[in-house]
Amino acid sequence: MSIEQADVQQALEILGDGARLDILGEHADLLRYAESAITAQHSERRLRVRVRVDRNGRSVAGSLETLDPDAVRSLADRLSAAIADLPAGPTPPATDHADRTDRADHSVPTPVIPAAASVLESDPAVRHRWFATVRDGLDSSAKLGGAIRYDVLDRVVADATGLFRAETLTKASIQAIAKQDGRSASVRLMHRDADQLPIEEIPDRLRAALRPLPTTEARHGTCRVLLKPQAANALIATYGYAVLGANAYATGRSVVSGRLGEQVASELVTLVDDGCDPDGLPSGFDAEGNVRRRTPLIDHGVLVGLVSDRRRAGLTGGVPTGHAVPDGWRFGGDPVPSHLLLDAGTSTDDELLAETGSGLVVNRLDYLRVLHPKETLVTGTTRDATYWAEDGELVGWHPQLRFTFRMDEVMNAIIGIGSTRERCDQTFMESVVVPSLLIEAGPLILP
Amino acid sequence: MTGYRELAEVVLGLLPADVQFGDIRVVRRTHEQVLVELDGPGEVNYDDSLGLGLRVLIGGQWGFAATHRLDPQGLDAVVGQAVGQARAAGGGRVVLGEPVTTRDTWSSPMVVDPFTVPLSTKLDLLSATVKEASTAGPLVQQIEASVDFYRDEKVFANTEGAMIEQTLTESGGGLMVNAGDGNDVQRRSFPQGVPRQIRGQRGDFATAGFEHVLSLGLPENAARVASEAVALLSAPQCPDEVTTLVAGSNQLAMVLHECAGHPMEADRALGTEASLAGGTYATPERRGNFRWGTPIVSAYADATIPGGLGSFKYDDEGTPAQRTQLVKDGIFTGYMSSREYAGALGGQSTGQARADGWQRLPLVRMTNICLEPGESSLDEMIAGTKRGILVDTNRGFSIDDQRMNFRFQTEIGWEIRDGKVGRMLKNCTYQSDTPTFWGSLDALGGPDEWRVHGVPSCNKGEPLQVAHVGHGTVPGRFQKVQVGR
Repeated sequence: MSIEQADVQQALEILGDGARLDILGEHADLLRYAESAITAQHSERRLRVRVRVDRNGRSVAGSLETLDPDAVRSLADRLSAAIADLPAGPTPPATDHADRTDRADHSVPTPVIPAAASVLESDPAVRHRWFATVRDGLDSSAKLGGAIRYDVLDRVVADATGLFRAETLTKASIQAIAKQDGRSASVRLMHRDADQLPIEEIPDRLRAALRPLPTTEARHGTCRVLLKPQAANALIATYGYAVLGANAYATGRSVVSGRLGEQVASELVTLVDDGCDPDGLPSGFDAEGNVRRRTPLIDHGVLVGLVSDRRRAGLTGGVPTGHAVPDGWRFGGDPVPSHLLLDAGTSTDDELLAETGSGLVVNRLDYLRVLHPKETLVTGTTRDATYWAEDGELVGWHPQLRFTFRMDEVMNAIIGIGSTRERCDQTFMESVVVPSLLIEAGPLILP
Repeated sequence: MTGYRELAEVVLGLLPADVQFGDIRVVRRTHEQVLVELDGPGEVNYDDSLGLGLRVLIGGQWGFAATHRLDPQGLDAVVGQAVGQARAAGGGRVVLGEPVTTRDTWSSPMVVDPFTVPLSTKLDLLSATVKEASTAGPLVQQIEASVDFYRDEKVFANTEGAMIEQTLTESGGGLMVNAGDGNDVQRRSFPQGVPRQIRGQRGDFATAGFEHVLSLGLPENAARVASEAVALLSAPQCPDEVTTLVAGSNQLAMVLHECAGHPMEADRALGTEASLAGGTYATPERRGNFRWGTPIVSAYADATIPGGLGSFKYDDEGTPAQRTQLVKDGIFTGYMSSREYAGALGGQSTGQARADGWQRLPLVRMTNICLEPGESSLDEMIAGTKRGILVDTNRGFSIDDQRMNFRFQTEIGWEIRDGKVGRMLKNCTYQSDTPTFWGSLDALGGPDEWRVHGVPSCNKGEPLQVAHVGHGTVPGRFQKVQVGR
């Protein structure tokens, strides 16, 4: 599926002044499996044409599944009528800061992110082979569930001032959860290029994670907690979403509001947002067409930046960082990080485990939800392999437990960072690249 | 729906001979959203989506494909993709049970078609709501008042002879107020909360017309709701203690959703969500013998409730809407199912296969999950409580992957002391596990307090699907519950 520039141009001409198009050609192929059997296969093709028209301080939006001129004309008429019905809004003066930043950002070239042929030319047989590789590599008593997904996303953002950015993004991912004798373990891998995914390693990883250790008594109180990368992913993504957006900062809803330049996390923490870093799942521009700029956020624990869109560009040097979210996004309208990368540390996984001593090892944090954004209070559970360690050795499976904690306290209590990072994602964040994190006893209390 | 029926017939006619079963849904979804905020002229959004989804069964294995391209090339491609997917998988195990051969046309009832109401009327309603809310003073930082209207025009046809045309119209609206004083931020929503920062799609929804929005009383409640948001800033924290919890009807709606709705979906019980949201305590061997709650609690799914947001006449497999008992006298008794998962459990579909638009495969989804009312009332529950808290309006929640241990947070709470409502409390949470919590229930509101809450944001599946569901609930009282921050 490709989006023709001429069709886009024609649609913009129909829509008139103040129009912006955010177009997604979505092509997804999915293989799902449960209880070690294939349960469903999907193939979806969709064109989502999001339209926004801003005139005289009034803003209206709409969406279609086509660029057909008659359909666009019909929507244009409807949007024009709606604009006429809306009361007048504040008209930005010609010298308005935001207006200047728009033009400045448009002059930046679109980053080039190559699509992967392995995904563009995907074949169902490859997905079936992946599934069979994982299933057949497990013990016969283990049950496997999960999904294999290939995505191709054609994106265009264009507007009536001449902005036109286009890119094709690819992504292959596999989720595998194995269950055996009441234990469960999971692996999730993703990459822009399907050929780069080490599928053959998954069975070994699952078998190792399912090791038949005894189940320990549930511990209570405080202890060191080692968050493996999938667990650190949930923490870092949720923290970034709640804390590091410019609008949350400007309106006082972020725990770090007013603290640029101050220490907000452990000195070990260096965090950036970089949409073009190949360690993540790259994408070059946001829903407003702003290029995604490498944005340092936390440098050795000091808050050094925020992510912004055009409305909040004043907080990021007058230039949006490329973090505008799509119209109607179900996670809100404010700019939030999209591609977080946490710097690796120097400790191997074995060294981190040794430093944990007697404590908890968490493979995954599940259903992490914000209870109080200003306080960064969240609650969630562990899932798919939670262990107890004694003297730096895994000695047993720990019962799944619920954590309720302040993320800012945990970010300050990081005392060790792993040297190996994993590429992860979240439903509200395109990619998160994180290593393991060792948390000092205290903020993560075992209830 | 001119032409959709013919389109469905054309696609079914393209299926090759080795297709055991096929069904097609042509769906046009129209969505209008109007939103007014504290410092803006308002926003309007019109979404229009049209496409088709084709599902085929070959050798007991599904293949599904969906496309927005309705030209001959697009139709050929979608058939080729669905068939190719099913053939590539090899042998499967799907059994569908009794054929579905219904031919019918139906539209959901409404009084006022919301798509014919002038935009200016909607803007006036919302502007009045925002104006009332803004009277709560300078600590009010953010106000959003919104209305949303949906129309799904659906044609369903299958190779067994079914041809069903349905039109569903849904309306809803609500208000959200954030107050802040530099140290704290607190939120109040009306008529019900939203667990995320969703713009629009707030409030209470029904399968009904514009009359439902008018019945909500948004302007009439706005000043009170905003004042509560401001008052919460200086309210004391909810204490950490084990106490009596009295939950309002709309709060229990979300608890029921998580503790009974999702766990009692048959596909989940058979492992298909294991890699996503997780499994369930409600496993097949527990049906009929697992004590879910006290004997005064019974729950059911019912897609026939007039106006319920989970109501329809036929599900997305053509199975008629029906009522399904889930919990009877405190015992887990049944599942929601589709044709496939009913077959796997040895029964017939209970009519809960639903898809989010044309582009998604139908999944087992909640319809209207309801509590049977009890014999008490909210006032009686409070009057009979020596010490406890009253909570209302869900702010957030988390539940484990077996749907057992949970933590809910509400936007607002109040002390109960000696049978009377006392001080307002903020940041109220409560934590328990499903059978313990419902096993501590000692009172439920009566039929007069029973109402259906419409929630347009139930998530499930991969790719993610959003379903519109309803919950018929009453207030309830629970003993010895851990509450606190």
